[in-house]
Amino acid sequence: MLRQIKPRNARSKRALDKKAPKPIENPKTTLFLRYTTCSQIVQDALGDLNQLRIPLAKKFTKKNEIHPFEDASSLEFFAEKNDASLLVFGSSSKKRPHAINLVRTFGYKVLDMLELYLDPDSFRRLNQFKNKKCAVGLKPMLLFAGTPFETPVQNEYTLVKSFFTDFFKGEPADKVDVMGLQYIVSISAREPVEGEDSKPSVHLRVYLIRTKKAGQKLPRVEVEEMGPRMDFRVGRVKEADEAMLKEAMRRAKNTLERPKKNISTDIVGDKIGRIHLGKQDLKELQTRKMKGLKRSRDIADSEDEEMDDVISDEEPVKKPKRV
Amino acid sequence: MPFTKLVKNSAYYSRYQTKYKRRRSGKTDYYARKRLITQAKNKYNAPKYRLVVRFTNRDIVMQIVTSEITGDKVFAAAYSHELKAYGVEHGLTNWAAAYCTGLLIARRVLNKLGMDKDFTGVEEADGEYNLTEASEGEGRRPFKAFLDVGLHRTSTGARIFGAMKGASDGGILIPHSENRFPGFDMETKELDAETLRKYIFAGHVAEYMETLADDDEERYKSQFQGYIDDEIEAEGLEELYQEAHKQIRADPFKKVDEAGEKKTKEEHKKESIKFKGYKLSKEQKMERVKAKIAELKE
Repeated sequence: MLRQIKPRNARSKRALDKKAPKPIENPKTTLFLRYTTCSQIVQDALGDLNQLRIPLAKKFTKKNEIHPFEDASSLEFFAEKNDASLLVFGSSSKKRPHAINLVRTFGYKVLDMLELYLDPDSFRRLNQFKNKKCAVGLKPMLLFAGTPFETPVQNEYTLVKSFFTDFFKGEPADKVDVMGLQYIVSISAREPVEGEDSKPSVHLRVYLIRTKKAGQKLPRVEVEEMGPRMDFRVGRVKEADEAMLKEAMRRAKNTLERPKKNISTDIVGDKIGRIHLGKQDLKELQTRKMKGLKRSRDIADSEDEEMDDVISDEEPVKKPKRV
Repeated sequence: MPFTKLVKNSAYYSRYQTKYKRRRSGKTDYYARKRLITQAKNKYNAPKYRLVVRFTNRDIVMQIVTSEITGDKVFAAAYSHELKAYGVEHGLTNWAAAYCTGLLIARRVLNKLGMDKDFTGVEEADGEYNLTEASEGEGRRPFKAFLDVGLHRTSTGARIFGAMKGASDGGILIPHSENRFPGFDMETKELDAETLRKYIFAGHVAEYMETLADDDEERYKSQFQGYIDDEIEAEGLEELYQEAHKQIRADPFKKVDEAGEKKTKEEHKKESIKFKGYKLSKEQKMERVKAKIAELKE
């Protein structure tokens, strides 16, 4: 457990506030790390993924002696220090060649982990495709194709989907400019075949969207591969702790603004409010004043005053109020 | 000797992450760059263009740049040495030349995009502050670019704003305010259009020429030798720049007459080799030392 920091001055307070939990969280930053042995292919892959994530990414070049599935405490340390909730850890060994570990954290503690093995033969770098690339810091469109991603039960493939959605999500935006829709990330996997041992691999492709003149108002849309091209085999998985996941999925109550009721604007532009007055107490109803109905003489004086008030309020249940 | 704690110990060096290359050489302000290339959250993901302005000792470089994920791409460029084709031969880094270069790049960009008919900008420079708006006919949106000044100091009257003013008057939209133009008064917060107009047509240069010609003939000759050779007088400067602006608008892709063919990549490489320093081999070093010793013995 790291010590709690108490801000001593305004600047450190601002910095801490930026990191603090919020109803709407900051966009996730990704940290790219490598193991002491890491093949050139994996390093290239990390570099390309970093390029796609810029400016919400940080890439470290030093070697780290970390085994995420055995002891992830240093990863947690790095996540806290860099305020990164997504980590991508590349390693390569004889047993697990060209491995890329995706790690998600919640509250700077590891939430879940996924290991993917990159296919070295089909891997193509971003700059091996000689064409135009998309602009920096844009959100892609995401496409998940294939039945493995659609299963209702949680397995590796739903986790792949969840991880890549998080990875490419970027900053939340309520609207999107058409000019900004420049590329699409397609992640696909074929259906598992009965009687076959190996699980279907996951294919990641990134396409540039080209709009061409079509003679109509809507342009003709074409896609062109931009790179990187990666094929993964799914490896080890560490699924999220149920209680932790529940806590991570929790949403703050006041995120959505409640719709305002009973206030409307008429054609002229005046604001009209409808007020609810509560149930009328019929016992208090003013009837004809008679000497015989008076309960007693001594409280009569005070009651008279109250009754006057009631008369003025009881009429309008529906009353337009000008603001 | 007092006890001092060793701060830069081996743990420090083993954890040390080097800064980016261009940060280390002090060429890029990454704080500004990040903000210039990525779009604000509320702008719905639209891509951005930068108008990059850099001054060298003898030239002005202006580029329209977009940032792609594999690196920056230059959409259009203009240099002040290209102004020779339009009759501006001297003072290629001054305020007026910066304005001309700005105008040149704006016309080039709009020409390339086929928007030059819709956006003419300010045809007769009058030094008034105005921003390019949507075109009148179809209401086409203007080409928008943000000024990137790099590490240049943004003081009032700086030449980078001359370049920006030129590009803005050329018909592209560069969001700016008037308070960095020459002629802006800090006290009254007002822009004196007369002063700004004077700078656009190199009135300040003409003024200096006149004072030097009157006071210090010798200095005038050394300072303005090029002008004297071409028989350019102080009075003729304004006309010269007006003519240049007109020609830039007429044809923004004019070539300098004696420029010759464009060099290929190989030729450029050959040229740059001339200036490259080479490491001496051991024999050469020995020879050099021997020669030096022989020289001393004499």
